[in-house]
Amino acid sequence: MTDEKKISIVLAGQGNTGKSTIFNYLTGLHQHIGNWAGKTIEKCEGTLFYNEYTIDVLDLPGIYSLTTSSDEEIISREYIIHEKPHCVLNIIDSTNLERNLIFTIQLLELESPVIMVLNMIDLAKKKGIMIDVQKFQSIIHAPVIATIASRGFGLTKIIDRTIELKETKKDYKTLKYGKEIENCIDQLSITLQSVNLPYPPRWIAIKLLEKDKEIVKIVKEKNPEIAEKAIHLCAFLEEIHGHDSSIVIADERSHLASQIAREIVKIIPERKPSLNDRLDAVTTDKFLGFFIMVGILGAMFFTVFWFGNWFSSRLDIIFQSFHNWWNTNVGKTILSALGWSAIESILALVQIALPYILPFYIILYILEDWGYMARISFLMDHLMHKMGIHGKGCVSFIIGFGCNVPGCLSCRIMESKRERLITAVLVTIIPCSAVSVIIFGLVGKYVGVWWAVGLYLFAITLVFIVGKISSKLFLGEPVELIMPMPGYKTPHLKTIILQTWEALKEFVYIAAPIVILSGVVIQAINLMGWMPAISSFLSPVTVNWLGLPAITGILLIFGILRKELILVMLAAYLGTSNFSEVLTPQQMITLAVVSMFYVPCVATISVLWKEYGWKKALLICFIETLGAIVLAGIIKRLLDLVF
Amino acid sequence: MFTHRHKKNKINIKSDKTSLIDIQDGQTGIIVSILGGKTLTKRLADLGLKSGTDIKVIGRAMFSGPVQIEVCGSRLALGKRLASKIIVKLK
Repeated sequence: MTDEKKISIVLAGQGNTGKSTIFNYLTGLHQHIGNWAGKTIEKCEGTLFYNEYTIDVLDLPGIYSLTTSSDEEIISREYIIHEKPHCVLNIIDSTNLERNLIFTIQLLELESPVIMVLNMIDLAKKKGIMIDVQKFQSIIHAPVIATIASRGFGLTKIIDRTIELKETKKDYKTLKYGKEIENCIDQLSITLQSVNLPYPPRWIAIKLLEKDKEIVKIVKEKNPEIAEKAIHLCAFLEEIHGHDSSIVIADERSHLASQIAREIVKIIPERKPSLNDRLDAVTTDKFLGFFIMVGILGAMFFTVFWFGNWFSSRLDIIFQSFHNWWNTNVGKTILSALGWSAIESILALVQIALPYILPFYIILYILEDWGYMARISFLMDHLMHKMGIHGKGCVSFIIGFGCNVPGCLSCRIMESKRERLITAVLVTIIPCSAVSVIIFGLVGKYVGVWWAVGLYLFAITLVFIVGKISSKLFLGEPVELIMPMPGYKTPHLKTIILQTWEALKEFVYIAAPIVILSGVVIQAINLMGWMPAISSFLSPVTVNWLGLPAITGILLIFGILRKELILVMLAAYLGTSNFSEVLTPQQMITLAVVSMFYVPCVATISVLWKEYGWKKALLICFIETLGAIVLAGIIKRLLDLVF
Repeated sequence: MFTHRHKKNKINIKSDKTSLIDIQDGQTGIIVSILGGKTLTKRLADLGLKSGTDIKVIGRAMFSGPVQIEVCGSRLALGKRLASKIIVKLK
């Protein structure tokens, strides 16, 4: 492959612009999703083969600016500057042109070859927004292409223009700010010409005026005089405008964006509110919105559990016959038992992933792509603030009800470290589908459905209380919600399937190694015959404090692997699946409470470990285990009064 | 219901300048100032919210939750405390 036939492009833009739809369209299954070095931020790369060209596509995180206020922004900025891609595709939501333009201006200042992609042009038309593409091109001096990514419209044109752009030399036309700012920029950029830095002089000048920490530091090291001069100019601007120079520039940029928007956009006023507007009004309504949310989420959980139970029991039959086959053909030696426990761990993962997580993800991504998740965050913001986090955390909670693993992973959408950690801790308390199996299979079936529902409500209350405590414990300012409300749009099937696939893959990659390893270790302990010793060692807690049979000590250890094993093994050890013969109601409830809240399952622990370090992960496990034992003991004593 | 009316009166008595959370649904105004630090002001400016921007209040969630506004033709949800820092002149 010659270098001439190799092209690299990056996709840049804000969230909800259809960036990932375009990425998925361009790269299909030739994509690789990993992490940026040292960061828990997704790095999506892919390859496209087109007319003898090999085109590497990179999807940058969705960001609103190119300053250094978040990791995502720094990554994007550094990548564009240092890797010098052949072309930066700036994906723009045509219905939100003005807001998107602020980012575009920053991108153009980097003086890299940019192609503007006006996505969702059909939705804009529907809303009566007419954009003059020709005029837009001449103002920003870069190609502009209108697309409808969900239908693939205009996307090959993007590639054609990218190839064209690579062949031609590009000259940059700068977009000018107000006079006194331009004056300052000129003064700085002239002196910057002589300094050898990997950034365009004009861009450095602007960043100096914005007091960008990184750039100020770099310039100071190279040439302290220029940095000194920049401080003077900043003070000059601050005197004229009366506020910080960084705000002066940000204001000016936003002003420039609205100026451009005014020139190229014509809005034909709508006669009546569109269907989507009315849908938006209903779903974010003070009262109706809540009912709709409860309805939608209720339907979602019902579908997932109903389908999951059915599918899981089918898989059970298949796996059982596989186990029989293994026993007769491989024999019953210690080695084969260990081998089987490794296989069983994989099967257990499959049994969670396929029946529960797969449908859960599909429905979740449909809601997300449709635009409904933002409405949930909006409606729940107030309540979530009581726990020291904002509305977006609710999405992680919802995922947590399906499975804690993706729930903890999804905490990445929170802006600050503090909020990520609080959200993750709370997610681990949420009863996932495996815990629900215990709640309904034990308490729901033998004590009463309302007791099971009560346990659920209790868990939610506990999440709230722990949130309240941890918001006080983890110091720091809570971040306020600033969230664009995307318009509703028809979900795009291909994007949903690819997102589901990637999420499922990530779940397996993270969970599989540790689940298999701990499965084998626990089985080994079992084969050594150490289990009775362990259960008698734990009996002060299990028997004396919790009032449970001694064997539950072993169950709770196996439960770390996956929690529904507690129920499965209870039946095996007691030799009956009619638990009412061997356990009293208060014992069942106590066991369910311990199972719900003690140490998260290994897969969840591995996520906590990966995202927050082993110290925090172990601390969370320790506190939760201790808390669960204390809580269950108290509940047991209260139940003794009731029954 | 009474609290609602109370708020309305407050606007009339005070002046035509008020915090974003005190504006009623459907009303429009211009941002006069943002009572926040540098980081917040910049973050908002990146989204097109700065003094002089026209805004329209679309609605809010229950328990005086976040406010949904329309700015530059697109919609944003702003947390309650954040919204209270944005001072708006009614149109």
